[in-house]
Amino acid sequence: MSRRVYTERDIHMALDGELPADELPGYEAWLDANPDMKARSVRFEADRARLRQTFADALTEPVPERLERLVIGEPVGSSAGGGTWRMAAAAVLLLSLGVSAGYLAGIAGRHGEPAEEVLAGEAIAAHTIFAAEKRHAVEVGGDDREHLLGWLSNRIGLTLVAPDLADDGFELVGGRLLPAGNNRAALLLYEDAEGNRISVFVMAEKAGTAKGTYKLASDGPSAIYWLDEGYACAIVGNLPQERLSKVAGSAYRQLLAGAGKV
Amino acid sequence: MEQRKAAILAELPRLRRYSRALLRDPDAADDLVQDCLERALRRLDNWQTDEKPRRWLFTIMHNLFIDQTRRTRRRAEVVTLTLDDSEAVSAPAEQHESIATREIMDALQEIRPDRRAAILLVGLEGFSYAEAATLLGVPAGTLMSRVSRGREELRGLLDDFSRRRVVKVVER
Repeated sequence: MSRRVYTERDIHMALDGELPADELPGYEAWLDANPDMKARSVRFEADRARLRQTFADALTEPVPERLERLVIGEPVGSSAGGGTWRMAAAAVLLLSLGVSAGYLAGIAGRHGEPAEEVLAGEAIAAHTIFAAEKRHAVEVGGDDREHLLGWLSNRIGLTLVAPDLADDGFELVGGRLLPAGNNRAALLLYEDAEGNRISVFVMAEKAGTAKGTYKLASDGPSAIYWLDEGYACAIVGNLPQERLSKVAGSAYRQLLAGAGKV
Repeated sequence: MEQRKAAILAELPRLRRYSRALLRDPDAADDLVQDCLERALRRLDNWQTDEKPRRWLFTIMHNLFIDQTRRTRRRAEVVTLTLDDSEAVSAPAEQHESIATREIMDALQEIRPDRRAAILLVGLEGFSYAEAATLLGVPAGTLMSRVSRGREELRGLLDDFSRRRVVKVVER
């Protein structure tokens, strides 16, 4: 039997099955002679059991269909055919997560910030300025919806629809055209019965793919944003996160469908 | 090709488990799996057939996770993306979580990402030290110290949580 000196590192090796079989008797004897180390070993093993227990469900629960479909369904290397699962993904995503994005071409050169940060920042700034305006918040009112959407679609180079957010209690107030770097963005403003306002900020943007939640100040409005396939949008508001996420998901689905991106 | 896809499908439950343990939020976790699958499918031709699909996929996902944590950290320097947000978002799920489950999940989030990955790959996913080291692209010695420090940290955090719980009970 080997006469080597054992250390705390061996506790981990033994636990992980990395200790050679011929060293195990020596290790066991060392544990018996060192109650502290033995207690530690028992504890690490218990923590590992808790860890496994905690995440055990993930192995048995059904895998979301969107993931399976992605593997089976889509042609390899195709990014153009990705609309279906993107749609499904849009319904559930909430938190910051991103594929490495490029830089917003329309707003390029601004301290080299990632595109989605610039997008979300612009959207929050626009919301802060215009949502506060009682009488001059919009250039064209929601009562002239057809003109509003035709005009904005032409200016930003995307087919823009005004999402119907009545289920979430929001009605279209109207919209306006905004500069966004070298590009143009459309802002649609919505209001609920309590006077809460949210903005839908849309622009054409080629840089990258990203999605997430962005906030400039802890008590300020949040932007939930998507950057995908040349379509960039952010939904901004000062609502409880859960409500904003729900409205944003609904708005995004309708925007994509309206733009023929599905 | 179909065989390869079948091999990938078979790994989905494990990828989801690992991702969830890394990120905590189940939706964000599935999004990470999705990004991983996209990248894997794009690189299907580069996949060496003698390489186990599990290790190949976990390597891809780990690299995406690291990119993501870098981005989040950089964002955290300019922006207050508060913890409250993620808590608010995952609140409904939490109601079903037992205290023990929640404490493990919370503790993991407080452990440095490189150590978190190490203890999860070895302790949860059962990779050998050699496999985990290759997967993470670090020497075996580095992996071992990440495992032992990570577990030490986890133990300390769980102890803190249970002490806090005791204090709360006493206060009432």
